[in-house]
Amino acid sequence: MELERRGVVAPLVVTETFLPLVQAQAQARRVQPRLLVVPHPVGGLTGTELAGRIEGAAAELLRMADEARGQS
Amino acid sequence: MSTDWDVAVVGAGTAGLVAAQVAAERGLRVVAYERLSPGGQLVNLTTLHDHPGGTGPELMSALTAAAEEAGVRIAYAEVTRVHPGGPARLETGDGEVTAGAVVVAAGLSAGRLGLPGEEALVGRGISTCAGCDGPLFRGRAVAVVGDDEWTAEEALELAGFAAAVTVLVPGEPRWSAARAARLAADGRVDVVTGAAVTALRGEGVLSGVVVRTADGERELAVAGVFPFVDRRGPEGLVAGLAADAEGRLVPGDGVLVAGDARAGAEQSLAAAEADGRAAGEAAVAALAATAGSLRIVDPTHGVLPEGDAGPVEATDSTATWADVALFTNSKPNATELLRGLGERLQAHWELPELGFAAKESASVAADPDQIDWLSQRFKMVLVAVGD
Ligand SMILES: Cc1cc2nc3c(=O)[nH]c(=O)nc-3n(C[C@H](O)[C@H](O)[C@H](O)COP(=O)(O)OP(=O)(O)OC[C@H]3O[C@@H](n4cnc5c(N)ncnc54)[C@H](O)[C@@H]3O)c2cc1C
Repeated sequence: MELERRGVVAPLVVTETFLPLVQAQAQARRVQPRLLVVPHPVGGLTGTELAGRIEGAAAELLRMADEARGQS
Repeated sequence: MSTDWDVAVVGAGTAGLVAAQVAAERGLRVVAYERLSPGGQLVNLTTLHDHPGGTGPELMSALTAAAEEAGVRIAYAEVTRVHPGGPARLETGDGEVTAGAVVVAAGLSAGRLGLPGEEALVGRGISTCAGCDGPLFRGRAVAVVGDDEWTAEEALELAGFAAAVTVLVPGEPRWSAARAARLAADGRVDVVTGAAVTALRGEGVLSGVVVRTADGERELAVAGVFPFVDRRGPEGLVAGLAADAEGRLVPGDGVLVAGDARAGAEQSLAAAEADGRAAGEAAVAALAATAGSLRIVDPTHGVLPEGDAGPVEATDSTATWADVALFTNSKPNATELLRGLGERLQAHWELPELGFAAKESASVAADPDQIDWLSQRFKMVLVAVGD
């Protein structure tokens, strides 16, 4: 979150379970982070399961990145 | 007495946030130093027991918002040493400050077994957060080490995921009869008393522990261990202040201590709130006694401090859109997930390479030098924060 405050585009990859916590921390720090939410958990997944998480989140990341770049 | 702050609070957990709020509501200039994240232990609590406050993150949000509304300035830095006196001096990661009154609300350290190889296995089988890491152990066996109410609750929460939960109690349990009954009723939970963990097994990832009981030593195959023993107070943080056997501070020398960090504390949220309130009021009374009865209320009371309200553009960054990096928290699979996502972006934007940085552990704050480097060198950084 500190990176966004310093002008860096910094999407945070977070699992659903941690989303409320990250949102609460963002509120406390008065920042509105870019969030890339993936299903919980991530640790303990097999390679195939992990590839599924990457597949599921990639489109949103590219959209977010293109949008940030377009605005600069 | 001219000071940087009327009240400096060390630690913005439950006790610290309440103490800070109480003092700020009386018009005092209050800073609360936090080295990690406001809320302290609340961050780890999915369900709050013996407390009406909803979930941990909800209560943390409410307490943080109330403190900030009252005018508390939350400073994200570690306090490394407190020197009592009039004024007291605090050494922090952001430099030195003075304050008319100090409240230490630094809580306790995470539980540890004190065994060789333990630190390397934290996040790789050793955890102190059932809510965060429980799902990683779905269908596997885990052990929980401790003897108090919260050990019992963590064991019950883990039983919702794990195939078997062995609760290793060093002596006899201290939890209530009601919790004992719930543990006994859960077919996945086994409580072993008089048990000491003497060694950890596993290369890179935990695979088991050695347990000693009156019957001798045996191997217990577990994928996870949750230690809630040997949680230490902030002994040595305040120059000259006495501590009890667990490193918890005995208030004195004009320094107030609130919450779990205080010798004799009950270690519950309700107690931390009550303690924080009492410490906030004691700080107000102590300052009123030294300053006389008239106080001029800070006219910016409740106004957000300038410079905190929005983004601050880095001035010395030379980065372009070709400068993209990954920043991992080093939790299992976090780096692999980031690399997979990074590769997609690399292909999409035809980037020659990606920068890379890693935090040593998910449970410590990022190194300020690392943040400086990333913000100067890169235009975009993909960050792994929570799993
Ligand atoms: C596993 C577990 C489950 C629990 N469940 C419950 C429950 O269901 N219900 C209940 O009532 N209680 C529960 N408790 C107890 C409760 O969480 C604590 O009593 C309470 O959170 C203590 O609050 P605190 O403010 O004293 O400390 P903490 O919440 O630990 O906050 C201390 C803060 O100080 C910060 N800090 C420390 N040192 C420094 C420094 N030098 N500089 C800057 N910052 C510093 C830390 O980062 C932290 O944010 C549980 C405890 C555990 C361990």
